[in-house]
Amino acid sequence: MNEITNNPIKCALALEALKDVIDPEIGLNVVDLGLIYQVDFDEENSKINTVFTLTTQFCPMGESITEAVKRALENAFPLMEVDLELTFDPAWNQEMISEAGINFLNQ
Amino acid sequence: MFSDNNNLVKNTSHKVVLPFYLYAAFAFLAATILLFLSTNALNQHYFNPKIMAITHIMALGWGTMMILGASHQLVPVIIEGKLFSNILAHFSFITAAIGIPLLAYGFYVFNMGWPAQWGAILINTAILSYLGNLTLSMIKRKKVNVHATFVLTAALWLFVTTLVGLLLVYNFSDPILPTDSLHYLSLHAHLGIIGWFLLLVIGVGSRLIPMFLISKYSNTKLLWLIFGLINAGLLTFIIFFLYVPQISFYLISFASILFGIGSFGYYCYHSFKQRIRKKVDEIMKISLLSVIMMFLPVILLFTIIVWLLINSINPQLVLVYGFVIFFGWITAIILGMTFKTLPFIVWNKVYHLQAGLGKTPNPKDMFSSKIFSLMSIAYLAGFILFLIGVYLANNLLLKLASFLLLLAALFYNWNVLKIFSHKSVKL
Repeated sequence: MNEITNNPIKCALALEALKDVIDPEIGLNVVDLGLIYQVDFDEENSKINTVFTLTTQFCPMGESITEAVKRALENAFPLMEVDLELTFDPAWNQEMISEAGINFLNQ
Repeated sequence: MFSDNNNLVKNTSHKVVLPFYLYAAFAFLAATILLFLSTNALNQHYFNPKIMAITHIMALGWGTMMILGASHQLVPVIIEGKLFSNILAHFSFITAAIGIPLLAYGFYVFNMGWPAQWGAILINTAILSYLGNLTLSMIKRKKVNVHATFVLTAALWLFVTTLVGLLLVYNFSDPILPTDSLHYLSLHAHLGIIGWFLLLVIGVGSRLIPMFLISKYSNTKLLWLIFGLINAGLLTFIIFFLYVPQISFYLISFASILFGIGSFGYYCYHSFKQRIRKKVDEIMKISLLSVIMMFLPVILLFTIIVWLLINSINPQLVLVYGFVIFFGWITAIILGMTFKTLPFIVWNKVYHLQAGLGKTPNPKDMFSSKIFSLMSIAYLAGFILFLIGVYLANNLLLKLASFLLLLAALFYNWNVLKIFSHKSVKL
């Protein structure tokens, strides 16, 4: 958790909120899918800087997932501005799925 | 605020894609109704008005319209870029939607005058618009992508197929070709089956199957080899057909295409073996079954060629061959893939603005899995019974089989309409 944030407590809350965002194609939430790369809190400017990815750059659900990530964070932290950065470096791969995610997929 | 999301490619609008899906579902129902009402025609030569009408509804109204819809939706995924024009896509839909019933009606009443001719002209216009739209969408992409090459080449072969079809229609009333239209039927059919359906299914399937299975497997070199083998097989077939029409030569083309299909089977097998998601759902099972079903027409084609070498053509075998392709392989792909793509398109339309504001239904819950299972059972039972019915030339079995296929089409339409009529639900 510490590797992807400058505020582990708030980040835990953010990730909990982001667990409601499901990649509808896979049926798994974006956190366990490994799409969230960074969640930093800029208290001075009241900003959440989030770096995330998609399973593929041309994911048909890309727009929907992007908007859902933004809304979930705005909902969890209404007083903060959400700054999203979509990156494909590094590109997502199956190794990024968490153990809980793999267990879910095999249910 | 989004700081660097220019990488995100906009989806094709659902308004472009959904009419194709709905049209295809109705066409499938229409074809199964006609099949049920025309079982007597199945004991005659395959070149008869009713069988021609059903074949064209299946190939164009069902298979092609569905694939055109899905391919417009999947353009961003496959070619890694945005669809050039929604207007061209709408134009393509309207012209095809009018042209297909006109052509089918022309065949059904065997009026190869204005209904069939205008039908063929409109279908060619639709395909040319699709080809143009696809080409202009891809032209901006600098990187050569194997999946996109498959799709563009398939569209090109589709245009060649419909152009030959147009010539064949005119050739009925005003001889413009060296011989009668029946002579060119196998050329016209294989341009469509191999050039359009096979290339497109492999191009799109090689992208989607690993994606849906969440597989680590990737082998671009193998896909290029498959692309080369199938196109070489088709090109040599055209040359042999036009210039060296000897049956033994066709075996060379056949071997090349067979090797290509076998290699795709190998690709799918490794994607399946290296999948992260161990549990395969019912929809993927039907889709994977269609990969196995690819080999059935191959075996039948080999039997037809060998039969031709020994005897003359066996019309019943040709009928079974056509049935296995359109009601078997292509239908199995569509029955599975509809429920892997359509719910996501409608989900995106309905829940686009609600995503992230609480739980929403899963796309796979937007249709009835029970109806899906019933559809699969009716379809498989109908398919197998039909083959037995043709083999035994038993009209009662053919009636029962076509009734089961009609039932499968009704179940399919039920679920498609259920997805279409889905209203926003908060969980």
